[in-house]
Amino acid sequence: MSEATVSIRLRRVMFWSGVAMLCAWVLVPIYLIALGAFGGRAGVFRWPKNLLPWDSGLAAMQAFLAVEGVWTAAVNGALVACLTMLFSLLLGAPAGYALARYRFAGQDAFRMLVVLTRAFPLAILALPLTVTFIRTGLYDTPLGVALVHTALALPFTALVSSSLFMGIPRELEEAAWIFGCTGLQAFRKIVLPLALPGLAAAAIFSFVISWNEVFAASVLTVRNRTLTAYLLTVLAESPLHFRFAGGFLLILPSVIFIFAVRKYLFAMWGIANR
Amino acid sequence: MTGLKRLLAATAFTAAAVSGAATQGALAQETIFLSTQLRPIEEATKVRQIILRGAPGPVTFVVEEPSPFQTRMDAETAAGKRTISMVGALHGELSPLVGSKGLDPVDDLAARARERGVPEAMLALGKLGTDRQMYIPWMQATYIMAARKEALQYLPAGADINALSYAQLKDWAKAIQDRTGKRALGFPAGQKGLMPRFFQGYLYPSYTGGVVSTFKNADAEAMWAAFKDLWTHVNPNSASYDFMQEPLMAGEVMIAFDHVARLKDALVAAPNDYVTFPAPSAGKGRGFMPVVAGLGIAPGAPNRAGAAAAIDHLLKPETQVTMARELGFFPVVKADLPTDLPGGITLLVEGVAKTQGAKDALVSLLPVGLGAKSGEFSKVYMDTFQAIVLRGAPIRATLDAQAATLQTIMNETKAPCWAPDKPSDGACKVN
Repeated sequence: MSEATVSIRLRRVMFWSGVAMLCAWVLVPIYLIALGAFGGRAGVFRWPKNLLPWDSGLAAMQAFLAVEGVWTAAVNGALVACLTMLFSLLLGAPAGYALARYRFAGQDAFRMLVVLTRAFPLAILALPLTVTFIRTGLYDTPLGVALVHTALALPFTALVSSSLFMGIPRELEEAAWIFGCTGLQAFRKIVLPLALPGLAAAAIFSFVISWNEVFAASVLTVRNRTLTAYLLTVLAESPLHFRFAGGFLLILPSVIFIFAVRKYLFAMWGIANR
Repeated sequence: MTGLKRLLAATAFTAAAVSGAATQGALAQETIFLSTQLRPIEEATKVRQIILRGAPGPVTFVVEEPSPFQTRMDAETAAGKRTISMVGALHGELSPLVGSKGLDPVDDLAARARERGVPEAMLALGKLGTDRQMYIPWMQATYIMAARKEALQYLPAGADINALSYAQLKDWAKAIQDRTGKRALGFPAGQKGLMPRFFQGYLYPSYTGGVVSTFKNADAEAMWAAFKDLWTHVNPNSASYDFMQEPLMAGEVMIAFDHVARLKDALVAAPNDYVTFPAPSAGKGRGFMPVVAGLGIAPGAPNRAGAAAAIDHLLKPETQVTMARELGFFPVVKADLPTDLPGGITLLVEGVAKTQGAKDALVSLLPVGLGAKSGEFSKVYMDTFQAIVLRGAPIRATLDAQAATLQTIMNETKAPCWAPDKPSDGACKVN
């Protein structure tokens, strides 16, 4: 065996063990949570663990899903997250485009101001915000929560999309104008398709921000809680197998959503569309 | 690309459709019941499916942690528009609501509660320092100790488990550690654990006969030295325990102190594996702290009649017995607990009875009159504990420093001393 083949083989082993490491990094915790979620009360304390989550049956998870309000909360959570995603794209992408394409007075200050919305701890804003929401009738509605979450997600969408648009050569747009496109047409036909993968990533980000946010979601709602707010206010004090079942349920939508749009994520990272 | 477009379009459509439906779905005659109690998911489910099922009208049970609870009540007061009709919370969580106008007097319900045998002293607590009835007592609980039966073999000779002293508890834990190598004693000193109540209702009263006035006296100094010594046999994970039922079930600890509701799961799961007994005693007696939760009605409640009816339902003797059976909270009205309670609940009842009936029992009330400062009050005790026991700070200096903080809280709230401290004129003094 020549030295070269050994080195190639070594490199291949290194590569695959790296891949295995990275996969384990993500999958092992999810696997352990699944074990806890499906194992039931006794399973949590059992050692060694069963190897397959469904060994001990689905009873624990079923009991969890039968808890009153979990489904409504899940629907509310998904609804709020989707609304947030929609709003932050509708508002954030144009803002990002403006930041990238136009020079205007106070541009840098604006950039800072956008980030500043994250500088105020929500706990301090809770009281006035709730009072305002009650007065305007947004209290206890998914729309109200989505608006607050949009405010939280906007800085990310605006800044991410601005750097995205900066990466798309202005010349492409100008060429479209020369061939008779209006500004809007040029944007829709040339810039948007190029920016789409990045916008998808920004959308995922705002979805996840909203899905994970607890404080605003629980203070601003009474009956229409999002799943995260509904669960986290009670999970920390619930028996372990419930916490695992709740945790499992909370991870699931994010994972499914990211899986659904993975194509766009890969495209953004320069991996060919598959 | 079309996939994403479709996804976005579908999202927008469902979002619009469902949010319209959700906002219009406000139910006509529903009573919203906001509670800081019975938050854990299994308990809340039992409240919804068993306890409230028999209520006259539909009651929506919503749970919330104490701090957002205050925020929400204050916000609804400020906005002048109520969603919440009825609240259920601990005595100490309801008392700040008097100052912020979050409670409507319920004098109309007090007579019925008295008829059903709610003790006069407990009803008086419900006035929260005013001359109107601000809340109706709902349920009570206290703290006990539980031990796994295999720990009993190490109990020091001559010690009666139902009349332990702190010295004997230490010997017991030491014996277990010497023989098994395990630090088998556990306390709920985690973030959400109820450790401050152990200091306020158990350790301080037992050693010093007071909670505030005796905070830094010589007895207190000796007490902290003894407790620091005891801690060498306490499972170091105690600093992260919130509920002792889990470490007990997992076998991480064999002896534990906690609120009855936070031991219940372990006792119910394996009643034959455990014994329950009162917390230990020291020089001044056997401190113990009854916990009272109350029910109140918000001023301008959207459904006051529904709330009143729900309170009436919750105070029925049969509802109260069901709560004891299912949730481990004890009746405030006159109700005989049936003899066929589940094994774990029987253990709880025995532990509570032994605590209340102990010859040297020394009742310690929940902090009274501290209002919004009760969190800071508890923090003084936790800070002192963490400094002295966990970080090894000098006892005298720590007590002096924390006593100053404690005195400031007392002065600001002008709270007079409460039992077991001797009654005071004006703010309670730290001597």
